[in-house]
Amino acid sequence: MSLTLFHRHVLEDYLSDFGTKANPNHLAVIRRPAIFSVLAHRGHDASVENELKSVEGIDVRDCAPGEWLVVSTSAGAAAIENLLADIAGASIVDQSDGRALLRVHGPNVRKILAKCVAVDLHPDSFPIGTSANMLCCHVAVNLARTGADTFEIAVPRSFCGSVFEEVMEMGREFALTAAFADS
Amino acid sequence: MTSYRLASAGSVNRGQPLTFTFDGKSYKGFEGDSLASALLANDQMLMGRSFKYHRPRGPVTAGSSEPNALMTIGSGARAEPNVRATVAELYDGLAAVSQNRWPSLAFDVGAVNGLLSPMLGAGFYYKTFMWPAALWEKLYEPVIRRAAGLGKLAMQADPDRYEKSWAHCDLLVIGSGPAGLMAALAAGRAGARVILADEGFRLGGSLLSESASVGGVSAADFASAMIEELEALPNVTLMPRATVFGWYDDMVFGAVERVQKHVGTPSPDLPMERLWRIAARRAILATGSEERPLVFGGNDKPGVMTASAMRTYANRYGVAAGGKVAIFTNGGSGYRTAADLVAAGVDVTAIIDARVQSADAVPGGVRVIRNGGVVGTKGRKRLEALIAERSGFQEQITCDALAMAGGWSPIVHLMCQRGAKPVWSDEAQAFLAPDVGSAFIAVGSAAGADTISTCLKEGATKAMMLARDLGFAAYEMNIPEVEGEYDPAFAPVWYVPGARDKAFVDFQNDVAVSDLGLAQREGFRHIEHTKRYTTAGMATDQGKLGNVATIGIVAGMRGVSPAEIGTTTFRPFYTPVSFGALAGTSRGEHAAPVRTSPLHDWAKKNGATFVEAGVWHRSAWFSREGEKGWRDSVDREVQNVRRNAGLCDVSTLGKIEIFGKGAAEFLNRIYCNNFLKLPVGKARYGLMLREDGMIFDDGTTSRFSEHHYVMTTTTAYAAEVMAHLEFASQTFWPDLDVRFVSVSDQWAQMSLAGPRARTIMSRVVEDDISDAAFPYLAAKTVTLRGGLKARLFRISFSGELAYELAVPAGYGEAVADAIMEAGRDEGICAYGVEALNVLRIEKGFITHSEIDGRTTPDDLGLGRMMALQKPDFIGKRMSTRFGLTAADRLQLVGLRPLEKLEEFSAGAHLLKEDATPSMANDQGWVSSTCHSPTLGHTIGLAMLRSGRERYGETIVVWDGLHGREVLAQVCPPVFVDPENRKLQG
Repeated sequence: MSLTLFHRHVLEDYLSDFGTKANPNHLAVIRRPAIFSVLAHRGHDASVENELKSVEGIDVRDCAPGEWLVVSTSAGAAAIENLLADIAGASIVDQSDGRALLRVHGPNVRKILAKCVAVDLHPDSFPIGTSANMLCCHVAVNLARTGADTFEIAVPRSFCGSVFEEVMEMGREFALTAAFADS
Repeated sequence: MTSYRLASAGSVNRGQPLTFTFDGKSYKGFEGDSLASALLANDQMLMGRSFKYHRPRGPVTAGSSEPNALMTIGSGARAEPNVRATVAELYDGLAAVSQNRWPSLAFDVGAVNGLLSPMLGAGFYYKTFMWPAALWEKLYEPVIRRAAGLGKLAMQADPDRYEKSWAHCDLLVIGSGPAGLMAALAAGRAGARVILADEGFRLGGSLLSESASVGGVSAADFASAMIEELEALPNVTLMPRATVFGWYDDMVFGAVERVQKHVGTPSPDLPMERLWRIAARRAILATGSEERPLVFGGNDKPGVMTASAMRTYANRYGVAAGGKVAIFTNGGSGYRTAADLVAAGVDVTAIIDARVQSADAVPGGVRVIRNGGVVGTKGRKRLEALIAERSGFQEQITCDALAMAGGWSPIVHLMCQRGAKPVWSDEAQAFLAPDVGSAFIAVGSAAGADTISTCLKEGATKAMMLARDLGFAAYEMNIPEVEGEYDPAFAPVWYVPGARDKAFVDFQNDVAVSDLGLAQREGFRHIEHTKRYTTAGMATDQGKLGNVATIGIVAGMRGVSPAEIGTTTFRPFYTPVSFGALAGTSRGEHAAPVRTSPLHDWAKKNGATFVEAGVWHRSAWFSREGEKGWRDSVDREVQNVRRNAGLCDVSTLGKIEIFGKGAAEFLNRIYCNNFLKLPVGKARYGLMLREDGMIFDDGTTSRFSEHHYVMTTTTAYAAEVMAHLEFASQTFWPDLDVRFVSVSDQWAQMSLAGPRARTIMSRVVEDDISDAAFPYLAAKTVTLRGGLKARLFRISFSGELAYELAVPAGYGEAVADAIMEAGRDEGICAYGVEALNVLRIEKGFITHSEIDGRTTPDDLGLGRMMALQKPDFIGKRMSTRFGLTAADRLQLVGLRPLEKLEEFSAGAHLLKEDATPSMANDQGWVSSTCHSPTLGHTIGLAMLRSGRERYGETIVVWDGLHGREVLAQVCPPVFVDPENRKLQG
């Protein structure tokens, strides 16, 4: 007997894909990102960070001293795992199912996120490429600036419905829409 | 004679008339009016009734310190009581209703209180209603509360949305008057990120009310030009309608923005109010100053208001407060008011100046009574005349409005909210802002500056100083010329002697000078005591108008300087803030974030009822048709697990991935039992202690490879355990190479338990899971049929043959469905946390009901787990304390009722037979109970004094809460399969 197992996104029930036209302020849910925790062992913080920076096709997000979240929206988890496996002095953990990746974009994105996080997201203090763990709608997330008006939020799966609803509520005055990125 | 709309003055938009109602009557106003100015324009001076005596009152200010003109705006669920009409922005369709009067504002039966006023002085209720004590709660207090009061709350749910937002800036400027505007522009031009917040609905502060010209244009036009330039700067954010109400740690300021309070039909997409938390590197207090009322007999008649309020009504709103106006002053403000009114064509009948002489310019034709005072007023619902006195000569002067100019108090509230007290200045005759460091400074009249030109200059220079301090290149600014300034200097007059009527210091709470005297006589001399005894400063305006006069008068009564009296304590909020704004979106189901398991939808479609466990929503039981209540479902689930098999969602358990060469040693020190030699491929139950020797948490940890472990924690302590590990690693043993990361969200975890569990699991898992290949406590990565990698653990929380299977969360629902399908012909059922709890109580397994922070491993019968031969582990040292090894400690036992049908509850206490219930006789308590469907009666776990020696004893289970006493027999805490035969099966 072979089982056919379907993968289900945590926001499946929250998003109707039909007839959703993206507004200028839009939240795209990445359906199957590859997300890995990378932990540097004693004395390897700098070398692991350097090696991570040299890996192509991944985004490296800061979590804590010697701890990163590696994100890829192009390659699958298995491919990323292979890329990371050889980094000396690091342990890696697949979190692809443990985090949902929300990409918020638009002219009012900072005003929306100011209602969700306490961190200053002005480009002078949080330029493109910056990322940090922070509370977003009471939940610990990793938030990264990936563009002038684009941020990506990695949300723990179990809190994702709650955070998603809250972000959408905060985006209401700016007509924020949401859909899966691939639809 | 009446108050009326002037023909041309003011900056209201006369092209945009608005219709509104007050007490049901329709009125017209203009865009740009406040509710108070529009009412005055319609000759409605009577706007409220005072709290205690129900005295008729009109507005005494034109701003946020207003104590009198409180009304209810809106209707139904949107009715908002105690709105200050002086700051409420007029909109078309606004409906306002007066408060604290019956049957009407003009005829109020409660005014009889005024006749009783000799008996209703300060503290009257403490004295009058002392006996009998029982009547206080039942009769006196409710009656007093009904008689005295403010508006009534709408009892319906608030239909509007509220939000909270953060803002960050280099410089926060609080107040948009001359000093604030210049400060914002100076820092804004320098490139700093500036936020300019003002409580008013129009930016400009006092510039909107003054008749001087600034930079060659009117003060109001100058303000508009400044605001235009500020609006064009991308680094400047203007926030009108935003009251900065509090100053908190780390330079965070709280502000409330009234987003839609001025809108007739609020948009559902916008919040009604927005709460701001503004993190500022520097802040400037440019809140201006408050004009003090004068304290004289009859100073509360409708028509008596501060001179600056009267100027604001005339210059900003184009409204004359009266047709025949008198002015009582101790400084330049009175003369300026007279001049502005004369210029607007209003009849100014007299200026009564408390000073013997002054250099102030007197407008042509206006009579000045120097060295005079007002000792009484005439009229009931409207001022009709005043009685002026000079050197014993009294004269009645007819007037329908009286401006009082009593000097100025800098508004330093925000700066004094974190402990610093304002500082009395003899020179300024005012309390000035304290020095709270260089990050937050006062400018302009908030800092004691007196003229517009000083305010402009000071705003610019101090903001440039702060901007440079932050590294911005700030260039000198041109300070515009001010023409037609006046000198607002004043000579203090705290109290005008010879009052013929009550002289009020706190209008809303009806606190008169006589009350202050009473407080001094009766020993309530400290200003904080005087405040509480008289309620001076305890009204909704929190003493903004009256406190300084109270202090000055008490100082006079005691013959000392106000410096010696000092101020009462300043606390947030500067003005009242609605609960809605403070709650934001945290209402109803959004009160806290909700946490759901990857198997939530699986549980839902299998008929689960959910229970909130912390923020988690967990499946509690799965109802089936015909089941009458939760007990039916739980009993069936338990019996089915014991007989066949059941599948339970255990995804909520904390899961921590542990790596490193030091991991084994680390775990060995974290747990009280041995972990150093745990073989790869094995799980072990572990107990973590706190430093004090009490159990902290329990769970299993499995070794997946030499340097890789997976730990599970209880649901409730997942975050605490993670923090505990991090703390121990970073501070106790930084030399150990060990790293952790939480994977609680990565895995959907399900427990398959029951005699048929292996049969079912082997239909899903490709690997050999026979007892030989995968014995009790085995743990390894397996492959599911079809190829998905998963983690399988042979652990049990039910006493049955059981597995826990962890799969990537996104596959959780599909795998649970597959197991249910694979187990269908084996009689599998879904079971929830209620059945899980019954199963574990039947087996005597502990949870945080037993691990309650007061129990040691030995208390719970797990003393043998303590590996005392280990060199160290957390909790080892303190575990040998005398109290923790005493023989009479409470120990875990089981309880069964002597009569099978009798039930008892957790929380009940244990008593020896025939002992009276008392703390001294207490033998222990019941920690967990359930109905055991396996045994057919209630069973319980309990903590009993020296419990393990008392098996077989009969004990009373005493439940005072339910009024229930049950006899039970003490027994070992394992009710089902004590030999663990099923577990190993």
